[in-house]
Amino acid sequence: MPRALVLNELDNVATLIDSGKAGDDCALQGEAKGTVRLLADVPFGHKVCIKDTSAGQEILKYGTIIGKASAAIKPGAHVHTHNVESIRGRGDQAGSSK
Amino acid sequence: MSATFLGYPRKNGSIGVRNWVGVISIMDNCNPVTRAICNAVDGTVPITTLFVRGQYGRDLEVTYNTLAGMGANPNIASVLLIGLEEMTSEEVAKRIRPTGKRVEIINLQPDGTINAVANGTRIAMRMAIEASGIRRVSSPASSLVIGVECGGSDTTSGLSCNPAIGRMADRLVDDGGTIIISETSEFFGAEHLFAARAVDDQVRKAFVDKVVGFEQDAMKMGLDIRGTNPTPDNIRGGLTTIEEKALGAMAKAGTRPLVGVLDYGEPPVRKGMHFMATPAPAVESMTAFAAGGCQLIFFGTGVGNPIGNMVSPTVKVSGNVNTLRTMPDNIDVDVSELIEKGAKVSEVGDRLYGYTMEVASGTRTTSEVLDIRETAISRFGPTI
Repeated sequence: MPRALVLNELDNVATLIDSGKAGDDCALQGEAKGTVRLLADVPFGHKVCIKDTSAGQEILKYGTIIGKASAAIKPGAHVHTHNVESIRGRGDQAGSSK
Repeated sequence: MSATFLGYPRKNGSIGVRNWVGVISIMDNCNPVTRAICNAVDGTVPITTLFVRGQYGRDLEVTYNTLAGMGANPNIASVLLIGLEEMTSEEVAKRIRPTGKRVEIINLQPDGTINAVANGTRIAMRMAIEASGIRRVSSPASSLVIGVECGGSDTTSGLSCNPAIGRMADRLVDDGGTIIISETSEFFGAEHLFAARAVDDQVRKAFVDKVVGFEQDAMKMGLDIRGTNPTPDNIRGGLTTIEEKALGAMAKAGTRPLVGVLDYGEPPVRKGMHFMATPAPAVESMTAFAAGGCQLIFFGTGVGNPIGNMVSPTVKVSGNVNTLRTMPDNIDVDVSELIEKGAKVSEVGDRLYGYTMEVASGTRTTSEVLDIRETAISRFGPTI
């Protein structure tokens, strides 16, 4: 069973410390317990969603904002650049202030 | 009791952890002669550079100060400068002389490169013999200035190597030493947490101004920094945003108060934990550490970045079991038990602090032995 670390009880993501395959039950360690069933393959070091997250909602790791969801994310989904975007350093979104 | 190590005493009271003769190029066109001399003389290190010719204003000032700072670094016993002509060579020489160490200059004009290599080799040989007469003496940890860096980061960096380095940093600060963390853009999203550690409002403002100013400069270009930072290998390693990377990166500065904010390559004047404003790429950032007087650099890596600094021996620390298996030759300390076995950061960090004193006393690092080392001075303006 692949393992995933939860760093803060507020977090909606956990970091896999083994590689996980779709359908695997992933064991949560750290600040949350239990398992989450992976909806997709999640490589070593990548994140899995552990709480239902709507589009635009903040993604929390270390109890701190690391970006916002660019799409709705279900528990068990791979959380990465395809469904999370950075809020910082976005000169492309500076728009009319340029 | 405070930690001690065996180091080389210098005339200005600083302590070296290595005892090299520094052969420094004043500009790009001198590099071949610098390398030829270093190939001929054991005990030397080549400190090469690009540009200088055509640089002006702040950009040139930073370059001169950085070259001189590497020459002034306590790990360098004496300095041989290789210049094209005497005026620019003197600009660097005059900034090193206050350390009291021997500084010699060889210029390529008017006698040409063959004579420069011959004369430089003769001087460097004498300097190397002279340096070898200096003996290591027991020295307090408080004389150490250590740069903390990360590169080839992934999600294991923020869970293992960086917190372990942070514990080492706390131990050094508690023993009266100095820590410098750099890489300005890697505070985006974590700056509020770091700013809260400033000793006073002035330091807090200086730090926030550096981070905000750097982000504004990036924003002015109308670009999205995603894909540049985090880098493609960071993203492959599971880091999704610069905010996530920053939170993990900050862990390597430990938990002690932020006492000072430094410009690129600027040496600290007080003890304790400092921030230095540098670009994120490791070679540029570590060059600034060496110029700022760091005798050692601790470098946390996830997916693996092997590069070390020419002047400051660089200790590679990783907690990624895959990287430890695929590129073990480029890692000095394995801290994978933090993730694999749930080991305590305090215990692993204390072991790292013990190893710090070993490396400071002469134990060599992988990048030193393999000579995986490079120098790059950041540019702050165009060349004309």
